[in-house]
Amino acid sequence: MLKINNYDSLILRNISFELQNKNLIILGSNGAGKTTLAKVLCGIISSSCVSIENKNPSDIYGESRTKLINYIPPKLEIYDDFMSVEEFLEINKLYTHKSIYEVLQLLNIEYTKNKKCKNLSSGEAQLLLLASAILHNAKYTIFDEPTSNLDPIKIRNSFQILQDENILQNKIIITHNLNLAYKLGFDILFIKDGVIAFNDSSEQFFSDANLQLFFSDSVKKYDDNIVVNL
Amino acid sequence: MRYFLVFLSLLILLISPFFGQIDISFANIFDTTKMDYQIFWDIRLPRTILAFFVGAILALSGLVFQTIFRNPMSSPFTLGVASGATLFTAIAIVLGLSSFVSFFAFLGSLATIVILFIIASRFHSSETSSLLLVGIALSFFYSASLMVLFFISNLQESYEIVRFTMGSLDIVGFKDTYLVILAGIFILFMVKYYQNSIKLLLVSYQFAHLKGCNVKQTNYILLISVSIAVGICVSITGPIGFVGLIVPHIIKTITQKSAHTLILPIFFYGGIFLVLCDLIARNLGTTSDIPIGVVTSFLGAPFFIYLIIKRKK
Repeated sequence: MLKINNYDSLILRNISFELQNKNLIILGSNGAGKTTLAKVLCGIISSSCVSIENKNPSDIYGESRTKLINYIPPKLEIYDDFMSVEEFLEINKLYTHKSIYEVLQLLNIEYTKNKKCKNLSSGEAQLLLLASAILHNAKYTIFDEPTSNLDPIKIRNSFQILQDENILQNKIIITHNLNLAYKLGFDILFIKDGVIAFNDSSEQFFSDANLQLFFSDSVKKYDDNIVVNL
Repeated sequence: MRYFLVFLSLLILLISPFFGQIDISFANIFDTTKMDYQIFWDIRLPRTILAFFVGAILALSGLVFQTIFRNPMSSPFTLGVASGATLFTAIAIVLGLSSFVSFFAFLGSLATIVILFIIASRFHSSETSSLLLVGIALSFFYSASLMVLFFISNLQESYEIVRFTMGSLDIVGFKDTYLVILAGIFILFMVKYYQNSIKLLLVSYQFAHLKGCNVKQTNYILLISVSIAVGICVSITGPIGFVGLIVPHIIKTITQKSAHTLILPIFFYGGIFLVLCDLIARNLGTTSDIPIGVVTSFLGAPFFIYLIIKRKK
């Protein structure tokens, strides 16, 4: 079980929730504190309020932490100029039987295998991050805006992977793509002004009344898709 | 190409002890009655080995610094670590504690690393250029302190300090060489031992954390190891600049490989680079040897700039 209890920071107030064998989607406007929350959950920002399987992720090292949680940032950042895609994925392969090539094929980016990470397009880099998450295969994986740099075809492909229950265990997905959130159908945690404004099922969140309440006129449901109203 | 380079390097290593102000013939080095015997075994051979290990240590330290401080400009010299060691060595000379120079040099480099780390912990990881500026400021502070030492020391001491700050591989016998060989083996072992963590750190601190690495502890251990090794080098040879900065870049640019796979090549070619520079310094036909730092800079700077220009294309 992943648990956070009464977490407070500069922007977040009184954040508490639990997650047990379930997926979660975190929504909220820019600067609402979603990334901060993700970093707290995986122990990059240390806090005594978090526990995963009764352990605090900022206090443990090595396998005991990597088995539990992984965080996938919105952008691939690599300091080394010459690290290749294959080398990068090798250090990510931890708790899976899938081969690197298999995962690259799943994401349709097997042609990048021998490229340098620095030379990838932003979309390819984002898919590489998704590949790294699949190869790591932690019990909980937090994705921070996993589709923000992708073209529609790649968004669809990533959606199918995120939806597939056999590929990764528990997923926590931070996103601005409401349609992705809607179609995945996971529970929704909505952060507004630093507090949890909503934490319940997808069905309830995407009811017309709640959409009106949280997003006023900027989104609407159209043909069973959530679209931005421009 | 690769084998040719290794062959060429070994050749440089082998011929280096035979050339200098007095050329030695191979036939004489086993003949104890000849002067060549003494020059070879007491001066040239220890000097070549010393040059090799000092170059290797400085180059590998450069790699560690560039990885941990996440800035391609960092090296034991640009961040003031070597100047710290130099200053403390000078202090030892002035205090008349010449037999403790190694210890003082180590203290100097360690103190600088501690200062850098305390300051670095106040920055975000994106602010590594500020750390570099701090390193430069520290270097200036150290050189100013060194100036003060010149003024309060007597003629003999200040001459000793000046000769020391020029950097020199002049040694007699193997005594100092053993210490540097030990330091070289130690730093190579430590970096090899932490190779996996270095691989993770080459992505990012956050990434290393997520893959289970204890980032803080790893950084501390590696930096302290580097300060021990660099402190020992500086205490024996004085500051020899530029090797730590450029050798990792040269090797990376030529091989186009990720730095974690280049630990041995950087160690080896760092050593060869300094042996070559020393060979040149001893054979320019001047009445006394040119300071080694002059040669490393003359040889290294143009080649370095050439590689940077080529890489930007």
